[in-house]
Amino acid sequence: MHRSRSFGRAPLLTVGVGLALALSLGVVLLAGFRLATELNGSVVALQTASSLQTYPADISREIDTLRERLEVRTYAGRALDDLRGTTTRLDDGLADLARASAADPVALRAARDSWARFHRELDPVLAFSGQPYRDSDTAGSVLSTAGRAHFMHVRRAQLYAARHAQALREELGKVVDGLRSSASTAALRLRGLLLGGVLAALMLALLAVHLQIAKGREERSAREAQERTRDILRTVREGFFLLDSGHRIGPVWSDALRRMFGREDFAGLSFQDLLQDLVPPATLATALKYVNLLWGDRAHENLMKSINPLAQLEITTESERGGKETRYLQFDFHRVMGPKGVQHVLCAVGDITSSVLLARELQDSQSHASAQLDLLIGLTRTDPLQLGSFLDTADAGLRLVNAIMKEPARGDGEFRRKIDGLMRELHSLKGEAAALELTSVAERLHALEGLVEACASKAELSGADFLPVVLKLDELLAHLQGVKEIAGRLMLTREPQPLGESGSIGAALESLAAQLSREHGKPIRLELAGLAQVPAAYARTVKDCLIQLLRNAAVHGIEPTDQRAARGKNGTGLISAKFAATPNGYELVFEDDGAGIAADTLKRAAVRRQLISEEEAAAMDTRAAMALMFRPGLSTADGVSMDAGRGVGMDVVARGLQSIGGRIGVATHPGRFTRFRITLPAADRATGAVA
Amino acid sequence: MLHEQELRIFVEGTTNFFEVAAQQPATLGSPYLAEVPPPLHEYTGVINVSGKREGVVYFTAPKAMLAVLLMKMQETDFSHDTMRDLVGEVANTISGNARRDFGGDFLISVPSVISGEAAAIAPKAGARSFIIPIHWRSHSAKLVVSLG
Repeated sequence: MHRSRSFGRAPLLTVGVGLALALSLGVVLLAGFRLATELNGSVVALQTASSLQTYPADISREIDTLRERLEVRTYAGRALDDLRGTTTRLDDGLADLARASAADPVALRAARDSWARFHRELDPVLAFSGQPYRDSDTAGSVLSTAGRAHFMHVRRAQLYAARHAQALREELGKVVDGLRSSASTAALRLRGLLLGGVLAALMLALLAVHLQIAKGREERSAREAQERTRDILRTVREGFFLLDSGHRIGPVWSDALRRMFGREDFAGLSFQDLLQDLVPPATLATALKYVNLLWGDRAHENLMKSINPLAQLEITTESERGGKETRYLQFDFHRVMGPKGVQHVLCAVGDITSSVLLARELQDSQSHASAQLDLLIGLTRTDPLQLGSFLDTADAGLRLVNAIMKEPARGDGEFRRKIDGLMRELHSLKGEAAALELTSVAERLHALEGLVEACASKAELSGADFLPVVLKLDELLAHLQGVKEIAGRLMLTREPQPLGESGSIGAALESLAAQLSREHGKPIRLELAGLAQVPAAYARTVKDCLIQLLRNAAVHGIEPTDQRAARGKNGTGLISAKFAATPNGYELVFEDDGAGIAADTLKRAAVRRQLISEEEAAAMDTRAAMALMFRPGLSTADGVSMDAGRGVGMDVVARGLQSIGGRIGVATHPGRFTRFRITLPAADRATGAVA
Repeated sequence: MLHEQELRIFVEGTTNFFEVAAQQPATLGSPYLAEVPPPLHEYTGVINVSGKREGVVYFTAPKAMLAVLLMKMQETDFSHDTMRDLVGEVANTISGNARRDFGGDFLISVPSVISGEAAAIAPKAGARSFIIPIHWRSHSAKLVVSLG
């Protein structure tokens, strides 16, 4: 600040010194001119007066000459003319002196008065114009009458001159002395003036030199300061620039900007143009509004900082090594205040890519650690045998999923045929994972299901649509590998937990029922019987069926507590599964005391999912409507959740049972119950395809 | 884990080549995973990747496909060397795309070419390979992305 005021004052001082110098010179010149004129007048007057000093003697001598001529009767005209000439010159000279005003007026007046008196004596002489002589035959040339009078005037004038010429000369001498003194004074003043002028000019010149030196010193300091600023701006890792009120970047900016934005034309560039191609339009608009707010006098700096939309900006620029590069920039704004409010906005841009990536890595690492911990806790609660069985099943299931993916496909039809198989397998695995409370696995399966479902919704399928599916499958396999490794370590340290009364299938169902009860806020009591008798050949199919039926019962069947209360039912929903041997094989009865299934609800869902037309729905009887629940893609749920909504479940049940020669029947009473009766052939007659 | 965008950049590098060189786009078959990559076709263009990810990406194509591609490109030389050059060009396009889009995160080698079905490329240890069938006209090639 101080430096900037000095810089502002230096030119003013220089101008002031220049003006003073010019003024002094002007005054000296004017006064000198005047004095010189005065001196010149005095000198001229002095010369005139000096020459006049001889005139009284000249007049006396000329009068003497005139008398002598008249006495000897010679020609006197020339002498009279000389007298007249001298008299006239004296008149003129005195008049010049009076006009010049350089002479001492008192002395001049005395001289003039003296001369006037002298002149009066001379006037009759000078006025003579006739012939002074007359020729006589007797006496020769004698004075005429006029000549005699003239002669008398000459004699009188001669006498006057003899008495007063010296006095007139002295009077004129006084005038000369006055003029000499005046000329001397003027010369002295002129010398003084010139000396003063030279001194003043010298002083001003010295002052100017001093100022110039001071200015040079300040400029050198300013240059050094600028150099230092440039060094800072060249070295600093942050990008700095100033924005003016028109949101344009000033001429000074740090070199780091070049690296950050891959351009050099910052000076004069608008803030909008700087960000135009780097950020989405919405972000740009917000950033511009924000910068506008910074110019308001009432904006609070800390508050503004907290709403900075550019605190972490992701941009893509050309890399120095070629190619594109994603970086994260942090814009920080500081208002530079001046006497009239905000003068500039200082913008500091930091490249926080390393910090952001590190933070992300830390977050990922924490999430991973947290997920691992959750997984670990989940695994400790899971029976090792069930877990091992699930991991084997999942491994086989995902290999099957990959095998389905691997089946050659070119056209939409071939791709679309994969979808049903993928959905069935993934849904089944998800059910098992959820039953074992392996949330991380179930969530990944759910996400994978979502990706397959997204493929199904596309109008024209191609291999590119399945890229996300195969990537997610890879991630899921990697996750399962991690689960396997952890489980392997756990199983080394844990004894298998004793099976529940209903065996491993029962334990899985009890766990799932508890989880569903918790997640959906519905109290559920699960009654199981005879599951330990399930032959090994049917174990997976029965387990898949029961998991799906249990999920459907919990989500769709059992009503919320308040509805059950309104219907006079016990607040806790009852779900039972009873497996028993029959003369021809086995029977599994699964029942819930929930809301039952309304044929119309199934029809509406089928129409909504475009499985049947409205006309077909209207023509459908209850039995046909009930069969709809086994159609792929039907779900009565409004949205998709981990437990319902994709319309895959009962399809899996039906296909699973079909694969081992089983059958399924359903009986329901709206508001009271739903009962599934599954019959299975004797195990040795099963058409089993289950590995 | 490989990101979708990363995989797409390799895939688009491959399909772009067909679109530009033969004015006829290639289509993708159904992608899948393989712990052991499938056998190579007669000609294979390979790029090695290091940096943020490490491993190999290669395009392997049968001779018949390359011959048709050369015809479509108005080539009259169907020699072994021309086939090698062509498959190397595909790999070059893939690596160019990857360099452009990945920037400094990935260091991508100059493509190399392998010929002969008996040849083998070691995938990145411990990484499953992504196999993306590339269909063009009646022929099929494969893009294999094996990055850890």
